[in-house]
Amino acid sequence: MGTIELKNVTKSFGPVAVIKGVSLTAEEGEFVVFVGPSGCGKSTLLRLIAGLEETSGGSIHIDGKDVTELDPNHRGLSMVFQSYALYPHMTVYGNIAFALKTAGVAKLEIDRKVRAAAETLKLTPYLDRKPKDLSGGQRQRVAIGRAIVRQPKGFLFDEPLSNLDAALRTQTRIEIANLHKELGATMVYVTHDQIEAMTLADKIVVLNDGEVMQIGSPKELYYAPKNTFVAQFIGSPKMNLLPRASYGGGAMHYQDGVKIDIGHMDGTPSIVGVRPEDISLCPLGEAELSASVTHNEFHGADNNVFVSVPGIGSLNVRANGKLDLQNGQPVGLVLDKSQLHYFDENGVRT
Amino acid sequence: MKNKYKDLPRWIVFAIAAFVMNFPVISTLSTALKTNAEISRDPGLWVHAPTLNNFAVVLQVTERLNIFSYLHNSLVASLIGSILPILVCFPMAYAVARRGYGTDVIFPTVVNLRAMPLIIFAIPLYMMYQTVGLLDTRLGLGLILAVVNLPLALLLLINAINDVPYELDEAARMDGARIFTILVKVVFPICLPTLATVFIFSFITAWNEFLFGLMLTTSEAVPMTVGASFFFSSGGGGGQWGVAAAVIIVASLPPVVLGVLMYKHISRSMTAGAVKG
Repeated sequence: MGTIELKNVTKSFGPVAVIKGVSLTAEEGEFVVFVGPSGCGKSTLLRLIAGLEETSGGSIHIDGKDVTELDPNHRGLSMVFQSYALYPHMTVYGNIAFALKTAGVAKLEIDRKVRAAAETLKLTPYLDRKPKDLSGGQRQRVAIGRAIVRQPKGFLFDEPLSNLDAALRTQTRIEIANLHKELGATMVYVTHDQIEAMTLADKIVVLNDGEVMQIGSPKELYYAPKNTFVAQFIGSPKMNLLPRASYGGGAMHYQDGVKIDIGHMDGTPSIVGVRPEDISLCPLGEAELSASVTHNEFHGADNNVFVSVPGIGSLNVRANGKLDLQNGQPVGLVLDKSQLHYFDENGVRT
Repeated sequence: MKNKYKDLPRWIVFAIAAFVMNFPVISTLSTALKTNAEISRDPGLWVHAPTLNNFAVVLQVTERLNIFSYLHNSLVASLIGSILPILVCFPMAYAVARRGYGTDVIFPTVVNLRAMPLIIFAIPLYMMYQTVGLLDTRLGLGLILAVVNLPLALLLLINAINDVPYELDEAARMDGARIFTILVKVVFPICLPTLATVFIFSFITAWNEFLFGLMLTTSEAVPMTVGASFFFSSGGGGGQWGVAAAVIIVASLPPVVLGVLMYKHISRSMTAGAVKG
């Protein structure tokens, strides 16, 4: 129960193609996260799965059954909206019970299910309150309660945490992860926050401009991004992409005679990517590259250091927070060669 | 002590404004409580010898004059004229606001009805009513009052539905609600303040309407406004100003009471807490 499969789904609004042929599968019990920048089509894709938008092409299958033409309520999915979308004139109880009442469930059964859902979400003391008397986090939980009470085949979350403050977001993120473990239901979750994506997902779908850039586990995406877009989108601070360079003699050759030895490669890499934590600061004598500090952000445990490297340009380095760095200070850099990422001239991993 | 007097100038201004704006009402009330002799002797606001005689005359049922019948006619016609536009306009407003139906032609046409002088309906309506037997009936009067109230009702309800977040409709669709359930269980309760406003304004407009009452009724369905005019010269001879004032007071009471009862519903917002603002 709860396999969601998209086959070459497209969606256009007039002449504008928003989703350009997306195929993917959310296996039963899997937590799939759609992530991408604003306007990449991730919310539209979720609404297509929900049935709130009609597809322009392709098909959507739930548990093997083609639901492309079905109304939202016949797909067996629940959705949690970004803005909560609670019925303001109903109490918390009424909000959670609404779907069951609509489905004609017996009163006693409704009562039992609503109270069970409220218990799970710690909403029991608030059952008689109206949404306007609740805090943001409580409203979010009511929205989730409304979704779980129907025992759907799958849950759809549309950026559910984006209206919460940072502390509450972390807490609710953990609650959603626990809920997923508890219910074991398929969940499809949309976010633009890659930290949410990394922490919650079994499988991440990175979208850009209506197309799937890569599908994989958080670790796959982090350690083996398929292209420069994914490389830069996943990870914070983002991966450094060194300027295009020519490869020859086991080294990348940059301007001003600067070169980085990378050893023998099968393909011909054009762009080298390196994450900030894979660059270390060192004394100038031991350095592979010499650089000077242009800007430093103190984050507590870490320093987020921006350095300028002659022939290469600006790089971002994660350094120990205890280091005291001044702007203009010369530093040496060493790259962890085992962690470098190589892309061809089209930005595709080689 | 300082605070107590700080607002004094403000209250004085309020009191003056309230007095000026309500002067016609106060003057009518004072006239209604005077004897005919006092009215002709002293037209001022102060009542030297208050009397309820004028009201007694008004409430007396005679062969020619029956205020209870007029009140009853007005009540029925006004209820038809205020509830029917809501029943018709609410689904239509939903279709216009959510689906964009009729935004090009129907909506502007209906709203433009408001701009037309009502007399334009008079002749065709009279002939039509004669044919279908609606002349001098409460239903007939109520129907035309509903038409009069339609444009404002539609306009206000479209705005109200536009203010209901669309995500609530979508959430209800996910919850298995069909369009009728969405309208009745979700959108309707949220629009209650506007519906109350539409009801009150429509009722008052219908209650105070004179032209159609005069034109379309003769004896059976005479509304209060037209009936009141019968009292003006009820005694024969000159104007019975005391009686006229009393009948106006009685005629004004129902909409005033309605307004006071429903005032608190008018401006209340229902959507608080629905979506993150």
